[in-house]
Amino acid sequence: MDLKIYALLGAAFSMGLGAIGPAFGIGFAGCKAAQAIARQPHAAGRITKIMLIGQAVSESPAIFALLISIFMVFNIYKMPEHVTVMHMAAFLSAGLCMGLGALGPGVGSGFANASACEGVGIQPENENLLLRTMLIGQAVSQSTSVYALVISMCLLFVV
Amino acid sequence: MKKKIILWSAVAFLVLEAVIGMHIQPDMSSVGEAPHKLHALGSLPLPFGGINVVTIIFSWIIMIVLIVISFGVARHLRRIPKRWQLVMEVFVSFFDKLCQDTLGEKGRKFLPYVATLFIFICLSNWIGLIPGCEEPTRDLNTTLGLGIIAFFVSHIAAIRYKGIVKYIADYFEPMIEIKGVKIPNVVFAPLNLIGELGKLVSHSFRLYGNILGGAIIIQVLSNLIRYVGLPIVLNLFFGLFVGAVQAFVFAMLALTYIAVLVEG
Repeated sequence: MDLKIYALLGAAFSMGLGAIGPAFGIGFAGCKAAQAIARQPHAAGRITKIMLIGQAVSESPAIFALLISIFMVFNIYKMPEHVTVMHMAAFLSAGLCMGLGALGPGVGSGFANASACEGVGIQPENENLLLRTMLIGQAVSQSTSVYALVISMCLLFVV
Repeated sequence: MKKKIILWSAVAFLVLEAVIGMHIQPDMSSVGEAPHKLHALGSLPLPFGGINVVTIIFSWIIMIVLIVISFGVARHLRRIPKRWQLVMEVFVSFFDKLCQDTLGEKGRKFLPYVATLFIFICLSNWIGLIPGCEEPTRDLNTTLGLGIIAFFVSHIAAIRYKGIVKYIADYFEPMIEIKGVKIPNVVFAPLNLIGELGKLVSHSFRLYGNILGGAIIIQVLSNLIRYVGLPIVLNLFFGLFVGAVQAFVFAMLALTYIAVLVEG
């Protein structure tokens, strides 16, 4: 019974902290897109498109955090035979790991998205090139949150 | 007229899908099936933790669909293309341009691999829209397999284009330069090695986490609001949109890894 308390705490840490970074990044991208549209209103469609695609990618750290939270809330983890302090620590740290790990990548990929929106606002013909570069940059910058996901899943399913 | 029919059939399909989908999985116990399937559920005992039968069935269905479509289109090729041939030509020329922009003339050789990667992953992500079907990319075994294939393709391409000596020497970059003589830097070799393995892990877990996360969100929400409304928007966003974007990201990253190793 004790274990469940720690799982719930970990779920709260994971989703609560993990929402900070992506939210900031997505909001920042929206801010830059609004500025770019204000400068070049005829490119509004292109800017909105690149903003939406980038935001869908930059919220994937938040989706990872949600995944770990749902695992812990709905009892999807390896149930140990004898509950020790180590297992409790593992649950708490799984939540902290994913929550803090989603913070940086969320902000970083939001920056990439914001700059791409600005770039389309300056030169709308470069849209496809910018979209490709932005996607690669965001995907690589999210590697760190993927590592956090791997470690959290190890803590839930292996320890 | 035709457009209207297509639109209404799409809407009807989505409504039907949401209704049936809710009745297939009404309780929360099915939310976390995927991670358990890694180990035992519905699997055959084998050395590497068993085989997930559902994943294999659906990946074979997708492969058969792809083969049938490709042969059906390629059988009647015409100089003035008809509808399906035009779609395929646009798709192939888009990826052809992508590969040539990234790798130059060499890129043509990787076109079949990259385009197949995209279309297979895209269809795998979209098959979850059909009620009762499960995405093969929701299983870690599939994505890890795809990641390992990309890993080997990029490294073997690097050995073939650069030669084995230059390939090994690249692990000792950035080299120390003393009076114009370049000395291999031993300190950086383990870092570069770990970086290569990290690419493999992040490449495959990114796809897995995104697709599994989207599928679980759809399940949980359709369960929560099953007497109130239908989660069609969620299916559109997580199924169609994120599925296509993640498939494109996977294919582009595979191409970029090849380009970094071949030209670096």
